[in-house]
Amino acid sequence: MRRLRALEPLAWVGPAIVLIALVVIWPVIEMIRSSFLEISRLGVVRGWTAGDNYVKLFGEKDFADIMLRSVIWVVAVVVLTVVVSLALAQLFNQHFPLRKVARWALIAPWAASVLMTAIIFKWMLDPEVGVINQIRVKLGLIDAMGGAAADQLGDASTAMPWLVFVAVFVSVPFTTYALLAGLATIPSDVYEAAKMDGAGRFRTYWSITLPLLRPALTVAALINIMNVFNSFPIIWAMTHGQPGYSTATSTIFMYILKGSDIGESAAMSVVNFGMVIVLTVIFLRVSRWNKEVA
Amino acid sequence: MNMKLVGGAALGLATVLVLSSCGSGGSGGGGDTQAGGDGQVTLKMVAADYGDGPGKPNSGETFWKGVVDEFQAANPTIKVDVQVINWNDIDKQVATMVQNGQAPDILQTGDYSGFVQDKLLYKVDEVLSPNVSGDLLQKFADFGKVDGTAYGIPFVSSARALFYNKDLFSKAGIAEPPKTWDELKAAAEKLKAAGVTQPFGLPLGQEEAQAESFLWMLGNGGGYKDASGNWAINSPQNVETFTYMKGLVDAGLTTPNPGTKDRKTVWEDFGAGKVGMVNGGPMSIPIFDAAGLKNYGIVPIPGKTGPLDTTLGVMDWIMAFNQNGHAAEIKKFFDFFYTGSAAEKISELYKLLPVTNGGIQKLSGDEQLKPFLDALPNASFYPFQDHNWPTVNTAIKQTIGGAVKDDPAAVLGELQKTAESANG
Repeated sequence: MRRLRALEPLAWVGPAIVLIALVVIWPVIEMIRSSFLEISRLGVVRGWTAGDNYVKLFGEKDFADIMLRSVIWVVAVVVLTVVVSLALAQLFNQHFPLRKVARWALIAPWAASVLMTAIIFKWMLDPEVGVINQIRVKLGLIDAMGGAAADQLGDASTAMPWLVFVAVFVSVPFTTYALLAGLATIPSDVYEAAKMDGAGRFRTYWSITLPLLRPALTVAALINIMNVFNSFPIIWAMTHGQPGYSTATSTIFMYILKGSDIGESAAMSVVNFGMVIVLTVIFLRVSRWNKEVA
Repeated sequence: MNMKLVGGAALGLATVLVLSSCGSGGSGGGGDTQAGGDGQVTLKMVAADYGDGPGKPNSGETFWKGVVDEFQAANPTIKVDVQVINWNDIDKQVATMVQNGQAPDILQTGDYSGFVQDKLLYKVDEVLSPNVSGDLLQKFADFGKVDGTAYGIPFVSSARALFYNKDLFSKAGIAEPPKTWDELKAAAEKLKAAGVTQPFGLPLGQEEAQAESFLWMLGNGGGYKDASGNWAINSPQNVETFTYMKGLVDAGLTTPNPGTKDRKTVWEDFGAGKVGMVNGGPMSIPIFDAAGLKNYGIVPIPGKTGPLDTTLGVMDWIMAFNQNGHAAEIKKFFDFFYTGSAAEKISELYKLLPVTNGGIQKLSGDEQLKPFLDALPNASFYPFQDHNWPTVNTAIKQTIGGAVKDDPAAVLGELQKTAESANG
């Protein structure tokens, strides 16, 4: 009887453990296992390799560039998203006419499929007929439709900013709402106290709002880091990682590799997985997430 | 303490087992309904979409439904489940199916050779009657063989030629379509001067860079392999070819940033009257028609010193997988397809060329298809039978566009290295 009682907690946490084991741990093990297998392009396992997949992966001409680009991609998208969202959250926290409508409208980029959004932007940027290029022609920014100047997605230097823009565009709604919820938890008496002490607006924001917003900010940024690092549809739909691999992140590279060498692709996944963990740890260190606000 | 752990592990394991057995039970039931008691066999077929995608009147779904309905009416004990996948995704999705042990019975796609090495396919004579295989064009059927044994059955073929917009040509004051590279460049310059944004449509992006590249290589006596069958992607001829193309690109005479452009986009631009000339095939005719372009001409592709006496022959394949043991049923379906009206219908609907002598005779009256039917006998092909080709092809699709942007020799050299080291 006693022994049975001791098992009781298991009934409560059991389903969660099983779920985690099934959808998190098992795939991770399977992924790591695949990265040490030689698998034909068509999915037939041909046996074990002692890390050949990793040797081949690290030997790829474009590997270093792709990893560096992935980090820049994550940092750029997350920083811009957070900055824009902080401003938007502040705005939406004020009372103004039609605030409800504006708040609803912000959900749109979030509710729409990311792939759809990416394809729409690709169309808008089409060099021959895209509406963005038509506007640029009208504004005199470019001479004519159809040429290289109108083809912003065709070159990495102009394509990357657009990819980042679209990624920020789809990440902002969630981040803004997370921060808005954080703002709502800040009690009004601290603001009153600050006012009594004669703190200005900037000082109040810097010393009161931001520190108290830190838990919400940390969570929002962390979720974004993981999301953006693994983000696939935007880049795939808009550039396929081309020209060459010059707009590919590690997730895109992993997908392309899958077409020629599944084992190497699995090795890329493992590296990706490690990168997310490293980025997360660095971020948590920097943001001192578990330190109480002084 | 230990008990808890063991209990937890046991519970977890039990759940995993239950769940996973549910999973395999479900998929197994879908793929193999032989146990149905009435002797019903379901053939799972995966096919590429030659149409404009789901929902369009010429979608693959619609075409195959017509074929399958007719077949099932004649063979009530065989059910054929067709899954149509677009060209961009089909290879990866099929690989996933094979990886998960859910290979289809029949696959219709652009390549068969990769499956041979892993012994996944039936030999052709196990799934096709001799009278049908005897009618296949010999040169095409030969390409379905690996080490002397046929595994791939040619499904449809196509050839390429140069399409040019007659209205734009007369606007630019060009009397004759180009026959040589020099004439091509001169024509492109005139077109540009007349305000054409893309004098030559050059799709070297992910969708089909390997085709456009090959057509250009052929124009200078090059190719992916040399005469003795060794990879020769960075041969001097090919480097010269891409250097010439880079010149066109740098002068703004082509589609901008060719390495990022898919053929579909460029063909649509040609249909919209934005492109002066483009390499295309019979399958681009419906796209041009749909865009409302009527006044275009079709001529052989210009080479360095004269028009090509060969062209890229592309054939797609149909093949049978041996995992589910449905050879007899598959044979019935294949025989039905090639001897009935289905093969003819596919040529008509998608402007694809037939692969049988009988089929070519039936189509010989079609004026639009004539330039292509004439070119078929002397066509050149991708090095399909090389089991490294799929790997090389993936790399070409992604990076060969760089050869007209950066250093041609370096980019082609990198591809050559991939080809020589790949292990398919």
